[in-house]
Amino acid sequence: MSATTITMKRTVGMVRSLYSTVLSFSVFLSAAALLFSFALDAGEGGETSLAAIWTSAVSPLLPILAAFIGMDVWSEERRTGRIEALLSAPVREREYTLGKFLGVWATVLAAIILFLVSSVAALAILAPSALTGSTLVKFIPGLFALALQSALWCAVALAASAAFKHSAAAALTAIAATVAVPRGIWFALMAWSGQDKFSYGEMPLDAHAFDMANGLFSTGVILSYAILAVFALFLASKFTAALRLGGRGAKSLRWSTATAIAIAAALALSLVSLAGRLDFSFVLPFGGKDGQTFTQRTQSILAETRGEIDITAFLSRKDVRFRPLSHFLRALAKESEMLGGARIAVSYVDPHWDVGAAERLVRAGASEDTLVFERGRRRAIVNLSDGFDERACSSAILRVALPPQRRAVCWTHGHGEISFEAYGAWGMSDIARDIARDGYRNERIDLASQEPVPDDCALIIVAGPKNDFSRAEAGKLDAYLRKGGRLLLLLHSLDAPGIASIMSGWGIRASQTAFPGERTLSGSDVIVSDFSSHPVSAPLENSQVVLEKPFVFSPSAAVGQGGGADRIDFAPLASVAGSCVAAVTERGVRAGDDLAIRPTRIIAVGDAAFAMNGRLAENANANKDFFLNCVAFLAGTDAMGAASAGKNKLVSGMDRHARLEFVVATSIAIPGVFFLVALSCVAFKRRRA
Amino acid sequence: MFEVRNISFSYSQRKILRDVSFVVSPGEAIGIVGENGAGKTTLLKVLATLACPESGSVIMDAQDALSRPLKYRRQLGYLSETPALYDDMTVKAYLEYRAALKGEPDKRIRRRVQEATEMCSIVEYAKTPIRKLSFGLKKRVALADAVLLRPRVLLLDDFLAGLDFGMREAASNIISTVAAFASVIVTGHEIADMAKWTTRFLVLSGGVISSVIPAAGADKEQVVSRVENAIKGAKS
Repeated sequence: MSATTITMKRTVGMVRSLYSTVLSFSVFLSAAALLFSFALDAGEGGETSLAAIWTSAVSPLLPILAAFIGMDVWSEERRTGRIEALLSAPVREREYTLGKFLGVWATVLAAIILFLVSSVAALAILAPSALTGSTLVKFIPGLFALALQSALWCAVALAASAAFKHSAAAALTAIAATVAVPRGIWFALMAWSGQDKFSYGEMPLDAHAFDMANGLFSTGVILSYAILAVFALFLASKFTAALRLGGRGAKSLRWSTATAIAIAAALALSLVSLAGRLDFSFVLPFGGKDGQTFTQRTQSILAETRGEIDITAFLSRKDVRFRPLSHFLRALAKESEMLGGARIAVSYVDPHWDVGAAERLVRAGASEDTLVFERGRRRAIVNLSDGFDERACSSAILRVALPPQRRAVCWTHGHGEISFEAYGAWGMSDIARDIARDGYRNERIDLASQEPVPDDCALIIVAGPKNDFSRAEAGKLDAYLRKGGRLLLLLHSLDAPGIASIMSGWGIRASQTAFPGERTLSGSDVIVSDFSSHPVSAPLENSQVVLEKPFVFSPSAAVGQGGGADRIDFAPLASVAGSCVAAVTERGVRAGDDLAIRPTRIIAVGDAAFAMNGRLAENANANKDFFLNCVAFLAGTDAMGAASAGKNKLVSGMDRHARLEFVVATSIAIPGVFFLVALSCVAFKRRRA
Repeated sequence: MFEVRNISFSYSQRKILRDVSFVVSPGEAIGIVGENGAGKTTLLKVLATLACPESGSVIMDAQDALSRPLKYRRQLGYLSETPALYDDMTVKAYLEYRAALKGEPDKRIRRRVQEATEMCSIVEYAKTPIRKLSFGLKKRVALADAVLLRPRVLLLDDFLAGLDFGMREAASNIISTVAAFASVIVTGHEIADMAKWTTRFLVLSGGVISSVIPAAGADKEQVVSRVENAIKGAKS
C-alpha cells in the first residue's frame, strides 16, 4: 500500500471516531433537509427537476461541512505533536496531503450519499408522485457536481488545517475562504457595479451546481474546479513542508516556498482563465431534465440566426422563476454557441437593485416580469406571466432575427367562428398570442366584403364555422387558394355545403364517425397519439392531442387529378383507430416545375375546439404545439415544435400536513436517529478502547 | 559512520547551536546532556530533518544526508520528547500502520511489529488500545515505532523523562539491545541511568559541545560525577 492510501485510511478512521464529525453530519443532514423541503415547496408545479432541487439544497452547505470535517486533520496532528512522528517518516508531504484530502473527501461524499438515500426514502414514503419519472440515475449529474465542488472545499479545508494549529481557526478560515469571501465579492459586485452594466445572474457557485444537476456541463467550469482544488492541495502541501522551516537557516527556503506559492497561484488563475476561454458545453443524456433541453424548432431557429442577440431578464432575483429561467437562458446561449448560431448575451435586471437599467427597460416598453430580446434596433418583449416557455423564447428570437415585416394571419368571421379576440374558455386568445409571438399580426377578414385578401396574408384560419359560407365567400376563398393561398380549417359541422365544396375541391372529404373503445379523458373526446411522419406532426411523436368528437377525413376525387403543379396530394397528419382526423393537402411544385409557383396548402382538423383557451388550460397535451405547427407549415416557416408542456412539471402531491410530516421526518427524525446511533457507536468504541 | 559537522541553528538573532560536530560509530550509544535550553532537543530535531540548520551537514555513508532527506529518513528512527500516538488504535494496529507508512512491504510488517514489540517488551499489550496505556508504556510503544524498521541511526529525545525506576531499567535494556544494530543518540537529564549504556557523554552548553566524557569501561559513578561537574562548569 502506498503512503497516500495508508494516510487516507487513517484519516477516515480518525475523522470517523470524532464527536465533532457526528455532530457535523447530523447538522448537515438536518440543514440540507430543511433547504430541500423549502425548495421542493417553491418548485411545486414548476419545471425544475427534482434532482436539481436536491442538488441545489446540498450545494451551499458543502463548504461548511468540509470545513468542519477537515479542520482537525492537520491541526490535530500539530496540536498533539504527532506531526513530528509523521514528518520524520520517509514520506513526502504531498503524499500525506493527498491521503488526507482523499480521506476528508470520502467522508464528505459519504454524507452526501447518506442525505440522498434518506431524502429519497422519505420522498418514496411521503411523496411518491414527486419521484415519478425520477430514477437514481438522474441524480448522477448532481452528485458529480457536488463531488466536484466538495473536492475544492475539502482541499481548501485541508490547506487551512495545515496552516493553523487550532481547529477552530482552521474551520473559520476555510469557511471564510469558501463561503464568506466568494459571496461577499458577489454581493459587493451586486451593490457597487454600475447600474447600467449590471448583468450578473445567480451566484456562480450555485448556478454551476444547478446547471450540472440538469445535465448541462461545461468543460471550463469542471476544469476550473479541478485546477483550484489542485492549487489548494499544493498550498496544503507547502504549508506542511513549511513546518520544517523554522529558524534563520531556512529563510531562503521560506522565500522560495512563498515564491512557489505565488507562482502557483498565478498559474492556477491563468489556467482557470484559459479554461474559461476554451470552454465548451455538453449535455448529459441522463440529466435531471431528461437531457433534451431544446426542441428541434428552437435548435433550427438558433442555428439559422446570426449576429448578436441580447436577452435581458427583467425580474426580481427573489422570484421563484429566477433560477430555472437563468438556467434556461444560460443553456440557450450555450446551445446557440454549439450550433454556430447567434451569440446570445444574457443579462439580468432586478427592478429593486438596478433602478437605472430598470428605468431604461420601462421606457423601452417592458414591464416587470418580462424578457426583452434585442438585436440591433429590433426588440421583442415576452411577458413571463403569460405562460412563458421555450417556444415563446424561440419565437421571440425569430422575431428579432427575421426581416422587419409582420405578415398577417387572417381569421374569418361572420359564420359563428371561434373568436381569436375572446379571452374566455371558448375563445382562442391564447393561441392568437402565441401566433403574435411568432411574429404575425392577427387580423379579422371579412370574405363577404369587397376588400381583397391582404397581400401579406400568410394564411387564413377558418375556426369552426357554424354557418355556411355564401357562394361569393367560397369563391373569394377559392380564388385566394388558387394563387397559392394557405388555409387552416377547423371543422365544426358538416351542415355547410359551401365549406364542404371548398374542401372537396382541394382534395379533402369529411365524414362523421364514432370511436367506441378509444382512449378518452372525459368520455366525449379521443386521445390522438398516432401521428404521421409529415413535418407538421412528426415532432409530436410520443405526445398526445385531445380532440372532441372529431370528424374524419379522406381524399376526395380531386386528389391525384391533373399533373405537374396542378396535382393535389393528400396526406394524413393524425389518426385514431386508422381514421384520419387531421389531414393536409397540397397543390405544389414538383421537380422540374416552375419554382416561382407558391404551393397551395390546406390543413383540415376534425375538431374546432381543440385549441380553445379552456381546452389548452385543461390538459397538458400537445394541442397548442399541433396548432402552431400547422400555422408554421402553412405560413412557410417550417420550424416545428415538439410538445413539452407539462412533461417536466414537478408534482409532489403533498398537502400541508404531508409537507409538515416531510419536514419533520427529514430534518428532525432522520438526523436525530443518525445522531443517536452514531454517537452511541463512537462512545461505545471509545469506552471499549 | 554517522558524522555531524559544524551544525549551527538560530531563531532570528538567538543562536541555539554553534558549530556542533561529533561522530557516532555503528553500535555506539552516546548521551547528549546539558541544562534546559542548552539546545539538545533542537539538535535532535535538526538531525531528524524537522528543522533546517543554518549551516553544517550530516554525513552518512560519505554523503550529505540532509541533501537527500527521504533516503536519510528511511534509515532514521526518531522519538520525540512527548510520545504522541493515535489513542484510538491498538498498539499492534498503530505499529502496523507506522510500518506500512514507512514503506515496509506488507508481508514483512507482521514480523517487524513482532520484533519491535518483543524488543520493547510490550507483546502483552499488543491488542490494548493506546489510550489505556500508562505514560511509560506509551513511551515504549513510541520507541517500538522508532526501532520498527531497524534504523541505522536512532534519535531519542529525553527518553527517560517521566519514567519510574522499573521503566528506566527496562529502557536501559532496550537501548542496549538497539545499540547492537544502530548508532544511538539520546538526550536527557538522567545521567546515572544513561551511564549504564552510554559509551560517551557530550555536554552541550549554550549551543556548543563543551565536554566529551568517555563512559565505556569507566567507573559509572566517576563518569556521572564528571558529567555533572562538566555541566556545572559549563554553566559557571
